[in-house]
Amino acid sequence: MTPFRPMLEALTRQRGVRASLIVSENDGLVVDSSLRFDQDGDRVAALAASMYRKARLSARAARLGAVAFLQLDAERGRVCAVGGRSDLVIVVVADPAANVGLIRVELFKALESLE
Amino acid sequence: MSLVNYATREITCKIVYYGPGRSGKTTNLHYIYGQVPDDRKGRMVSLATQTDRTLFFDFLPLDLGSISGFTTKFQLYTVPGQVYYQATRKLVLQGADGVVFVADSQARQIDENIESFQDLHANLAEQGIDARSVPLVLQYNKQDLPRELILSTGELSDALNFRGVPEFPADALHGPGVFETLRSIAEGVLKRLSAGTSAGVTAGSRG
Amino acid sequence: MNIATVEPWVEAPLRRFVDDARARLALLLHPSGQVVAQAGFTREVDVMTACALAAASHATSGELGKRVDGHAFRSLHYTGPDRQLFLSPVNTARGAYICLTVFNGESSLGLVRMYFEELCHDLAAAAPPLPAAPRPTIAADFELDLNRNLAALFGREPAAT
Repeated sequence: MTPFRPMLEALTRQRGVRASLIVSENDGLVVDSSLRFDQDGDRVAALAASMYRKARLSARAARLGAVAFLQLDAERGRVCAVGGRSDLVIVVVADPAANVGLIRVELFKALESLE
Repeated sequence: MSLVNYATREITCKIVYYGPGRSGKTTNLHYIYGQVPDDRKGRMVSLATQTDRTLFFDFLPLDLGSISGFTTKFQLYTVPGQVYYQATRKLVLQGADGVVFVADSQARQIDENIESFQDLHANLAEQGIDARSVPLVLQYNKQDLPRELILSTGELSDALNFRGVPEFPADALHGPGVFETLRSIAEGVLKRLSAGTSAGVTAGSRG
Repeated sequence: MNIATVEPWVEAPLRRFVDDARARLALLLHPSGQVVAQAGFTREVDVMTACALAAASHATSGELGKRVDGHAFRSLHYTGPDRQLFLSPVNTARGAYICLTVFNGESSLGLVRMYFEELCHDLAAAAPPLPAAPRPTIAADFELDLNRNLAALFGREPAAT
């Protein structure tokens, strides 16, 4: 078990959260994850890392500074991600009805503990 | 394994120069590289140690030209001869369409020649290949050395050529025998392909 | 994108893989080092040499794996300052191939691995069965052609046959 596991399990315990992962932004690989059934962690990690990287580069190109919080709303759910100074990004996959505000707060708390 | 592309009418064959350490395998490739026009050869790659012994292999792609309407390309490889590179010899031998065995004509090297020749057959057998089915040419290199130091072609033939395959005396450093060896193995490989006994024939699309 | 293939059924899956994974280049080769297909920015490398080296590297890691782990290591990942390599085998009804993927910061190892799995699946599905018997390919005049070409290679007159 990695030191990240308690933090990830705390995130996955939030209502409506299907998966939480720590992902290397550069590699797109899972560092650790807490997944409910029916989630392919490797795929989510690869695509979420790529998306986060693109968002970070876009924000920089537009002179907006660092990305604070990334949220993707889709038909059947949403993906939220936060990243800090390191290469690591915390990603959460949640149901459409999940409380994004709460997830956001928990993600920032998790990021603090990561750094 | 020869690769045949019917659509672009291309044939690619792999030829491996095998033999004991310092017998002149890399020298053969260097001579060929030096003689072949630029438009007929690719870059020669040598994975060698600091003392210029072949560590993994030498690689020389050659464009032979059109044979019966097929653009024919040969990929020449050498294996490292030293005994302790057994594992890499096996790897380079994989998929070979033909083998040139480069023997060192020096009398004191006869045991190394025989050991390496047996090693070749053992490695082919380990890959499930009947050595008799693979085109093989023997080259007795360093025939330019003083006579008292070397064995004659006949003596080397008695020791190594029990299959009666094509054999050539050579001086790979200066060229004699190198061309004849390559010609012979190319002929053997292409004749075998012509007879339809080589695996890996494929259909093709656009190139 | 440049694409060239020896085997037509390889073309669509390989092209899709390069697009999806945002790879610079993908080479499909035989374990013996011969090129089967290439897609992407193929002018960036000497393809034939890259395939020879990739086959050697793959074979080496396989053997190393057998000695270290009892089983051949399957995939390899190398990183350089600007480019990365991913080397992995693909099994199809036509036999085993190796795929060499070159990518940069536009992609990631995770993305390449993910789409590589799809490539394996697509190639396995697309591969036609092996032909029953290889066709003879060389006509009777091949010896003349062979002599002419070898003579041209070495800059000398064809030998009398």
